[in-house]
Amino acid sequence: MVSAGLADALAQGLVTGGIIAAGALGLSLVYSIAGVPNFAHGDMITVGAYLVLALNNPGELALVPNLVALPFAVAAVVGIGVAGAFGSAYEFAVFRRFRGKDADLITMVIVSLGLALILRNLVLFLVGSKNVTYDTPSGVNLNVDLYLTGNGLAVELTRRVRGSLQTIDAWGYGWPALVAVVALAVLAGYAVYRWRRGDAGFDEVHFVDPRIWGVAGFAVAFAALAFALRGGALDAANAAYSTRVGVSRKYGLILAVMLATMFCINYVLKRTKTGRAMRATADDQSLARIRGVDIDRVQLVVWVLAAVLAAVAGALLGWYSSSLNPNMGFSLLLPVFAAVIVGGIDSPYGAALGGLLVGVSMDVGVYLLPTEFATYRTAIAFVILVVVLLVKPEGLWGDA
Amino acid sequence: MALSDFLVSLLTVVGIYTLFGLGLNVKYGFTGLVDFGHVLYFMIGAYVTVVVAMPSGAADYAGIGGFALPELLSALPLGGLLGWLVAIAVAMVAAALLSLLVGVPTLRLREDYLAITALGVATILHSVVNDEEWLFNGPFGVREVYQPLSGVFPLSLGGFALNLVVFGLPSVLALGYVAYRVARYVRPISRDAALLTVAGVVLTIAGFGVTTLGGAPLVAAGAAVIAAGVYVVARGVRTAGGFGRPLALFAALVFALWYFVFPAVTDSPAAVVVNLVWLFDPTTGANGAVTYSRFVLLLTGAFVLLAYLWCERTVNSPYGRVLRAIREDEDVPEALGKPTFKYKVHSMMFGSALAAAAGGLWATHIGFIDPGQFTSSITFFAFTAVIIGGTANNKGVILGTAVFWTLRTGTRFLDDYFPAEYATQLAALRVMLIGTLLIVILYYRSEGLLGEQTYDTGIGLGGESSD
Repeated sequence: MVSAGLADALAQGLVTGGIIAAGALGLSLVYSIAGVPNFAHGDMITVGAYLVLALNNPGELALVPNLVALPFAVAAVVGIGVAGAFGSAYEFAVFRRFRGKDADLITMVIVSLGLALILRNLVLFLVGSKNVTYDTPSGVNLNVDLYLTGNGLAVELTRRVRGSLQTIDAWGYGWPALVAVVALAVLAGYAVYRWRRGDAGFDEVHFVDPRIWGVAGFAVAFAALAFALRGGALDAANAAYSTRVGVSRKYGLILAVMLATMFCINYVLKRTKTGRAMRATADDQSLARIRGVDIDRVQLVVWVLAAVLAAVAGALLGWYSSSLNPNMGFSLLLPVFAAVIVGGIDSPYGAALGGLLVGVSMDVGVYLLPTEFATYRTAIAFVILVVVLLVKPEGLWGDA
Repeated sequence: MALSDFLVSLLTVVGIYTLFGLGLNVKYGFTGLVDFGHVLYFMIGAYVTVVVAMPSGAADYAGIGGFALPELLSALPLGGLLGWLVAIAVAMVAAALLSLLVGVPTLRLREDYLAITALGVATILHSVVNDEEWLFNGPFGVREVYQPLSGVFPLSLGGFALNLVVFGLPSVLALGYVAYRVARYVRPISRDAALLTVAGVVLTIAGFGVTTLGGAPLVAAGAAVIAAGVYVVARGVRTAGGFGRPLALFAALVFALWYFVFPAVTDSPAAVVVNLVWLFDPTTGANGAVTYSRFVLLLTGAFVLLAYLWCERTVNSPYGRVLRAIREDEDVPEALGKPTFKYKVHSMMFGSALAAAAGGLWATHIGFIDPGQFTSSITFFAFTAVIIGGTANNKGVILGTAVFWTLRTGTRFLDDYFPAEYATQLAALRVMLIGTLLIVILYYRSEGLLGEQTYDTGIGLGGESSD
């Protein structure tokens, strides 16, 4: 009997972590550049998710006109764009005014709280409190079963068709092949890391961090080697250890979207003039102003980006969990804050990594704890938050 | 339900949340601690009071508790009340100790970190109370709420006339005193502003009257008339050169119309008398009586008065000066050798204990508690109320809470005129308005209605020190 184990929890955690990372990326931009500890960020996630829903499946919503029903992908792109317009509205209607009055940190916290109340109840007002879902094509769910046998590692691809499990494909790796795959992939990753590390200097910033290059090189080499060295099917009847990992196209797409989003943000921050202005503003606002940076414009871009990222997280979360409700974003606020603080509030890269860390810890933690603790998933994020605040308040990657 | 019953229940709610807000004001207003988890201590207060006072083996209850304090002390005179008071004291101590546990690791953090950590603690402990049935019965809540002296009420002293005089006279005097204070405050208003305000009241009330007749055209027309009324009041505010007097006049007139004039017109002149002697309910029993809900109001009032005096004494003492100094700039009292961290922990414990007392009263008032009553919105409402009234102003907390809950409860009347399926929508709309109000007040009048209060600084006018 194969059952889901630690590997499956890890895969789930990566997807959760990707979603949290999108939210955390936006929150950390607002936190470091606009200087607002934005308690409305969770509700910006909700608003983004529902904007996509209004275009994709408007029949579910009470007070929203039933105009168009776009396919999910199109609706997501358009909805996320509209969310960006909402972001500029938050900046113009609220935060620019308070910045003009030199509001202190506590005032900003409470203002964002007021905005959070408005947004959450706007959603509640327009759509009611029932759970709704996106109208998406049903995905294909595969199980990857791994067996550790005396002769090596056996892999089986299975899938559930009308209640019964069917084996699609099966192959295996002998012990030498397995060792070769892992060793060569690690070697390839390290080689890529060394190669990319060389050309950094004081005036030359890495577009992509060499460590990320290394991880990417490892992943590509691992996949290629695993494909090239696969052998015939092994007998898995007397496996010493077996585990099942559930995968689907949905998970892959969510991770791909996340990687693309992070790449785009990286591009904006490092290769565009606005991005340079944003980083300068985060560093020292008055110095940036003296050097001719248009602070108002930078802040506008930041709020639009934050709302877009929040909407990405919201749409992905609604798709991943197949349900939307007006509290979905607020209940994600704590993990998102944890991710930002774990990463160090000044560092968007840290926030993305922190998101992955928090997501993986939440899912793996729930797997490791007894089942009656499953309701305390958020508590795990909170424990991480408090430990980091107490031990290393500047975050794990404070000045990355 | 008579209007006086409604007024009593509204005043009780206002009193309980005033107590809660005074606790928040100690933390946020005077010490600058942004505790977004304040509702946690309200919840702990309610639960601890209830389970400590509850007899053991209550039906449908699987949690801990059942110490039956009131029964243990029943041999003493007023033992039930005493036992209940001890339960409240236990709840206050429990909340203070819990806030000590929460505060020691978190109070060294920056204010934004403190806000998110406090919100996190409250969220997680709320889900613990909701999910663990062995603790406080989980989502099913507690129905066995001890109500002190509930056997004595309805209280009647004998003849109807005697009751009317003994209980009615204080009620009339209290109303008269409030009317006198409002009149004293409003009197210097200019004639034009007063006329504009009165016209605004007439328009607004007429607009509501038209709206309630129903039908889309009349609702639209009524809304237009209400808007005109609000505009006229705004003109009055501009003419008066300040918003305090016109708005006080507006509120007083609306209250008088709603509470005295309409019952007289739609019901009978007797209804006016019933409303006037609000502390006395002539319809209960043969000779009329003071009902239990009125007793809870008096009890709440006593608690609020004590807490108010206690807070005033604290903030005006040298101790309170240190708290305010911490709020302004923590480095200064630190440099003067004050152990600021200790002061912050004290402030946290003091504020939490007040919130716990409010929780105990809330349980007694409602008679049934479950985790759904203690969501984090309660904290946010208290922040709004404190900011409306004026941060770091104890009188402002009372005024702000009264304004907030009157607006929130008063607009509930509107629900009657809409189909029931829109109840969620209307509730959401109300909270949206609260959020907007919060932002607007912070922008246009960040000091609130009353502004920061003046303190006894310990330095006399001549410059000599008095302590």
